Amino acid sequence: MKQNEFDVIIIGGGITGAGTQRDCAMRGLRTLLVDRSDIATGATGRNHGLLHSGARYAVNDPESAAECIRENMILRRVAAHCIDESDGLFVTLPEDDLDYQKTFVQACRDAGIRADIIDPDLARRLEPSVNPDIIGAVRVPDCSVDPFRLCAANMLDAKLHGGQVRLQTEVTGILREGDTVKGIRTHNRNTGEDRDFYAPVVVNAGGVWGQELARMAGVKVGMFPAKGSLLIFAHRVNNMVINRCRKPSNADILVPGDTVCIVGTTSSRIPIEECRNVAVTPDEVTLLITEGMKLAPRLASTRILRAYAGVRPLVSADDDSSGRNISRGIVLLDHETRDGVKGLITITGGKLTSYRLMAEMATDLVCRKLGIDKACETATTPLPGSEEGSYEEVAKKIWENPTTAQKVAASRMGSRVSRIRSADRRDEALICECEQVSMGEINAAIDRLEASTLTDLRRRTRVGMGTCQGEFCACRAAGLLAKAHGCIEKERADIDYFLQERWKGNFPIGWGDTLREAEYTQWVYKHVLGI
Amino acid sequence: MFQEFTESWYNFEECTKCTVCTAYCPVMQVNPLYPGPKVAGPDGERLRLRDPHFFDESLKYCLGCKRCEVYCPSEVKVASLIQSARLKYDHTPPKLRDRILASTDFMGKLARPAAPVVNAVTALPLARTAMDVTLKIDRHRTFPEYSFLSFERWLGHRRKEQATFPEQVAYYHGCYVNYNYPQLGKDLVKVLNTLGVGVQLLEKEKCCGIALISNRLKKQAEENARHNVEQLSKAAEKGLKVLATSSTCTLTIREEYPNLLGIDNAAIQDSLLMATRYIYEKLEQGAKLPFRTDFHKRVAYHTPCHMQRLGWGVFSQKLLQLIPGVEFIALDQTCCGIAGTYGFKKENYATSQAVGEPLFEQIRIVNPEVVACDCETCKWQIEMSTGYKVENPISILAQSLSTE
Amino acid sequence: MRYDAVIIGGGLSGLTAGISLQKAGKNTAIVSTGQSALYFFSGCFESLQEPSPEIRSLFSEAGIRLHYQPGVRLMPMGTFKESALALEDVSLFPTPRFGKKVLIINFMAYHDFFSSFLAEGLEKQGMECRIRFLNLGDLVQPELSPNQMRAVQIARKMDQVWEKVVQEVRVLLKDEDTVVLPQVFGLEDGSIPERIRQGIPARVVFAGTLPPSVPGIRTQMLLKKRYEVLGGTYLMGDRVTGAHVFEDVVQNVVTKHLDRHYLEADHFILASGSFFSKGLISNPFKIYEPLFELDMDYDTDRNAWYNPTFANHQPYLHFGVKTDASLRPCRGGVPVKNLYVIGSILGETHPELGSGAGLAIRSALQVTRQITHGSHVPGVHGELV
Repeated sequence: MKQNEFDVIIIGGGITGAGTQRDCAMRGLRTLLVDRSDIATGATGRNHGLLHSGARYAVNDPESAAECIRENMILRRVAAHCIDESDGLFVTLPEDDLDYQKTFVQACRDAGIRADIIDPDLARRLEPSVNPDIIGAVRVPDCSVDPFRLCAANMLDAKLHGGQVRLQTEVTGILREGDTVKGIRTHNRNTGEDRDFYAPVVVNAGGVWGQELARMAGVKVGMFPAKGSLLIFAHRVNNMVINRCRKPSNADILVPGDTVCIVGTTSSRIPIEECRNVAVTPDEVTLLITEGMKLAPRLASTRILRAYAGVRPLVSADDDSSGRNISRGIVLLDHETRDGVKGLITITGGKLTSYRLMAEMATDLVCRKLGIDKACETATTPLPGSEEGSYEEVAKKIWENPTTAQKVAASRMGSRVSRIRSADRRDEALICECEQVSMGEINAAIDRLEASTLTDLRRRTRVGMGTCQGEFCACRAAGLLAKAHGCIEKERADIDYFLQERWKGNFPIGWGDTLREAEYTQWVYKHVLGI
Repeated sequence: MFQEFTESWYNFEECTKCTVCTAYCPVMQVNPLYPGPKVAGPDGERLRLRDPHFFDESLKYCLGCKRCEVYCPSEVKVASLIQSARLKYDHTPPKLRDRILASTDFMGKLARPAAPVVNAVTALPLARTAMDVTLKIDRHRTFPEYSFLSFERWLGHRRKEQATFPEQVAYYHGCYVNYNYPQLGKDLVKVLNTLGVGVQLLEKEKCCGIALISNRLKKQAEENARHNVEQLSKAAEKGLKVLATSSTCTLTIREEYPNLLGIDNAAIQDSLLMATRYIYEKLEQGAKLPFRTDFHKRVAYHTPCHMQRLGWGVFSQKLLQLIPGVEFIALDQTCCGIAGTYGFKKENYATSQAVGEPLFEQIRIVNPEVVACDCETCKWQIEMSTGYKVENPISILAQSLSTE
Repeated sequence: MRYDAVIIGGGLSGLTAGISLQKAGKNTAIVSTGQSALYFFSGCFESLQEPSPEIRSLFSEAGIRLHYQPGVRLMPMGTFKESALALEDVSLFPTPRFGKKVLIINFMAYHDFFSSFLAEGLEKQGMECRIRFLNLGDLVQPELSPNQMRAVQIARKMDQVWEKVVQEVRVLLKDEDTVVLPQVFGLEDGSIPERIRQGIPARVVFAGTLPPSVPGIRTQMLLKKRYEVLGGTYLMGDRVTGAHVFEDVVQNVVTKHLDRHYLEADHFILASGSFFSKGLISNPFKIYEPLFELDMDYDTDRNAWYNPTFANHQPYLHFGVKTDASLRPCRGGVPVKNLYVIGSILGETHPELGSGAGLAIRSALQVTRQITHGSHVPGVHGELV
């Protein structure tokens, strides 16, 4: 078989694509994954990072709810190093209807979700940041999950199973012979090279851009892009997920994620052409803060780090213009049976929590098409990094008396942290102090996780995600990247892009300490460093 | 309204990551194991909020000199943040050695009646080696001598005489003046009496607790703090100012009680003053002191770190400069390295001496007759490390007065 | 305590004002909330041209050596920036192509100096570059840990072992006409960079590092020392929290640490910096000057504060306290008679004064002239009780 021939090609490096590639690779297929930029750049990396218990969907969408709780429990085992088992609260405020709580709890139980009504006093003790005025609280098994880490671990495991990953590789055409898809035509955005790849099955996991990919293949998939804006606060205000116990609405979830917490989201329908460049508006910022304050009043006086927006890749299914009531259900399209086009499937819809199931369903279909009968093992096989116990145990196994930086690295890399143990102490140099990212971890991401730009590194290591938003670490990390790929010119552009991306998220909330930080960053880059 | 201002404990979220603190941290310069004030303080706090297990015991290398707080342009209370993390997250029981070093008043009570013996024993090479080996108290350290007659008893004998003065203040003398160096207390009484001010003791003072805090004996520290706040409040109710001659005791009571121990001291914030501030303000308001005409001294003033943090070094300086015959030299504002009990610990000895070296070097170059300084532990450190005599500005002031 | 003038803010503008007032025989105090923007001072006095004799003597008397040569300077990322007046450490060139062959020296495991970017930048100008790394462990014991590899920590070591660096560079130097070194020399002793230049048989160029700026910290230290030698009172680590203003005359200011001990003065100078130093405060609804609530010159529409492109000029950097030609501000439209505003808190409200270091120095000297000569401030003394 030639180098450009595979059993299956997956288009899209989001969590669905990465999960599908891993599943396919684990079932012995030769896989290729391509993405026009990097992993987790679309909806995967632009949400709350909430590993749903399903409770949020229990009343309106029991099927999704049941799916969520099953997957939630699976992922706690197989993706332990990406997940913070925080638990969640659904709180009722004085302005909310307490009767809804009964409906909610019943629906949760029907879907198999443990939902315990707890005394508001207990809720306040469990989560001191919660609005003290709450009149009701339900405890559910919500968690937070790092989507970048999860996506990278899937990609890495696919590679460990022989998979190929090509990032910065844009699909410019779907190769069709008659009614059969044969492969893809790609353009490498780094090298400028155009190249064709062939496989009997192509999986469209392009998220909201799946519509365009489908069009290239001559089939129609109608997406329903809905923008959701979120705010990141500079530290963890809460340690449990806080939801409003009412019909899902704007800005009613506050999720603790790694060193920060995130409130969101808004929801508004946008045209598909705007999906690549969504911006958070001042009105959305105001809405997010004022609603967020109701969940945790301290948000009113907590420093905000940035604002960002994502696009939900929902498949248009009904006429509801808010996009709020449609099912987040999984959509698996076999274009052979649906449209008479062989060799192409589209996997879309769903949500971060159910990515593994989506991947399993897509892979089952791929295998059926290829005539392969092999069972899915992703529900039981841990992802790389999640094989061993807690990060504390992992760190202690490697370092007798681990430092904060080593423990933090272990919490991000799981058991893979053994890779950055080095005899050379210089590898311990901190590149990013806010998030305690060492040179060893950066180099591991460059070597093993396909990171070629600062934004790639940010997703994989959290470099530049901390309070200073890349003020110092960006150029330190750029130095390491430049060394790895040997092109300074490219790295200069990379720094510019990175700073612009950071600023894009900063200026919508540019006041107080964030503006002080921004002013300092301006001085450092323009007047001190000369960029 | 929302986001009109932001709030965070010890202002940790106001940190702009500018790294100023790291340039002024004396420990970061010399101890490779210390991650530095920024990483241990505001950076680490975000991580510890995520998971308390991210606490790292290397925070114990922080001297508590608070220079980071003095130089921080964002008013982040970096050192308090580090100290509070140690109190909150370090669950290992403090060592016997730390308990001994921290119990300054208890040790004083125990040692004072047997002062000549204790002083002789702690000075013996064998005893020092024994302490070094068994307790990990560094053998190079000279222990402060204990005095046979405590200051409290000395002033107790003069209670009636002091009551005759028209104006009255209370004196928070601290453990050092009481057990080790009553002469400083006597000097203060002399100066104040000359100004027509009588000196009273508090009903019963306890150690300010700084050593308890830095050795993580929080419960005992809280007990002392509550006791002292009560005592000082009583004095305040009587309209008495409470003077102190130790910058560390003063900073602890003024700042660390509310900051680290959560003990409200609002009632006494205005009444507790360093003696040099009180005297300077009196002179500024027109009070006169009879100075000797034959007094001459070349004085190099070292601003103790905690005096710097209090922001009151200016009063000691200006007071010294007012003394006719004092040739005043201001030393650079650097840390001497001792930081209370920190420098006594074997594991910190090298750091402690390395931190102090630039100061020692400057003193050697300046070659003053006496080094002036408002802190007793700086005094031990500078005297041990340079051989120069160190005196509290109050003592120098007392010597410069012509009284009968 | 009573002074002729109290200066709020101890950065470049505050120190300049303090020194020149002390020189004029005034008794002053400076209150400084921590370290200022001098901490990351590039070493180049932006927007200043040929320095006046006044500026020259002010700096030379403090032990700070300046040089003036309109041209460009080398930036840490290998780019060039127009410059005219700089600290002696900072090399100024008529054109970016200052040599033919360049040896760039970095330290192993030092990530705050960008030797590869420098090389690429110089190569773009047609220079041939060679990068060599020195192992700090060979030069200093105990070796700095990876996290101590920051400019100030290295510089403190370099103050002791710079001669060894000179020797190593001499060994490494082949036929290069220029050596580029990181700016980590002369933290305490400003003569070291010059002595390094004398010790190496090639042109020596010091290129900046990530903050802290070693020449910046030295400049701050020397100016502060000079100010104190002249008898000024520098209150480091204190903050002015309020002021008593009576009939449009500032009577005194209150500081956090001195609390009831007010600082009284005839004149007050506000040099509290821009956003970074909290001279200006912003929230979602407004930008304001927190101490005196002075009238501001800024756009009240928050959307107009920013340019969405990071690299473009940011409008918020223009904003500042509104003042008249004599740099006196207003409260509610009424001028405050004995208060002056200098330095970056002015934003770019007085383009004629320049920006950055130029603005700091020019505005400070203008105000001190007014105070010492009594120009623009008629009757202030008479109105004060």
